[in-house]
Amino acid sequence: MTYDKAVIAAFVDGELDDLTARRIEREAAADAALAAEIARHRALTDRLQRHYGPVVEEAIPGELLKLLARAEADAPAPTVDTSLAARREAKRTRFAPMHWGAIAASLVLGLTLGTQPWQAPADVSTDGGALVASGALATALDTQLASNQRADAPVRIGLSFRDRTGRTCRSFEGTALAGIGCRSDDGWTLERTMPGSRQAIYRQAGSGELAAAAAAMMAGDPFDDAAERKARAEGWR
Amino acid sequence: MRFEEQLIDILPRLRRFARGLAGSAADADDLCQAAIERALKSQGQWQQGTRLDSWMYRITRNLWIDERRASGRRGVHAPIDEAAVQIAGDDADSVEAGTLRGDIDSAMARLPDEQREVVMLVLVEGYAYREAAEILDVPIGTVTSRLARGRDTLMLLLGEAA
Repeated sequence: MTYDKAVIAAFVDGELDDLTARRIEREAAADAALAAEIARHRALTDRLQRHYGPVVEEAIPGELLKLLARAEADAPAPTVDTSLAARREAKRTRFAPMHWGAIAASLVLGLTLGTQPWQAPADVSTDGGALVASGALATALDTQLASNQRADAPVRIGLSFRDRTGRTCRSFEGTALAGIGCRSDDGWTLERTMPGSRQAIYRQAGSGELAAAAAAMMAGDPFDDAAERKARAEGWR
Repeated sequence: MRFEEQLIDILPRLRRFARGLAGSAADADDLCQAAIERALKSQGQWQQGTRLDSWMYRITRNLWIDERRASGRRGVHAPIDEAAVQIAGDDADSVEAGTLRGDIDSAMARLPDEQREVVMLVLVEGYAYREAAEILDVPIGTVTSRLARGRDTLMLLLGEAA
């Protein structure tokens, strides 16, 4: 073996230039000791990543979300700035809610147009101008428990909570649509909507935004398993 | 996207980094909470266009080091350097007996802080050496040597030595 440990480590960490990396790969094919050393380094990285990886999937504690939601609510009003850049920024900011609304509307349109008699009903319908959940989405919001949902469920339920007006609300994420539905007499009114996981480009922004929106609407803590079950038994009232 | 929303996007990864540094979930979330508070307070110091994740990792790491130094002075934890000495001294017996083999948490806990943070940043969080060096504000050579020592110790403790 002609490489010292630092070079092997750098190789495993992806820090070498392509030429050197290819040379090491080639030599490892014929040099068992080198191959073993590479494997040993890789095994450690794999083990660490497997050990710490699940932390990323954990639900973010309510206290941390609340801290951020409170900061967002307390954010000072934008100062008046007449520069061109500031005006552009202001315009962009004002446009943002409309932008999401437009995406949601086009999704609804797409879902409606896509509905054929032989297909399941669309997940969203309109009721007096408000978006309400229907079909599989309404069923998921009615019945699915966050603590007990199948890994391949088409709609994932996130947080369930009571909002400041006393309604029970639940955040959800599907392939086409994600958002927050709040229960009223007529069903689940969609308070927030954004593109779902299929729109991969929005995905990363989306889940954070959804969590922030939920935290901002929340009165008290999100439901734990028992509270979620109880709320379901009581029809989410 | 708003500053707070960007922070929420980073939070899952930041919690993982904090877990690696602090060891326990409760300590890690305390650390995250302190880091968020610090970030919100010094929001003005973050430059738009630079990476918010690196900035947050730096804040978290600095808070952790401050905390460790403070508790070290209070005599709660062993001084930072003692862990390294210990590892050199009692390796063979306990490793041979399998008491430490396979337990990543206790192996990580025995690394000196400055090695543990490099191991987390490069091997778990996937930062390049240069990025890790920027987060920690040390030269790249320091990152690679700490990483090498950390790796050696972990392989020894976890029973992955050849």
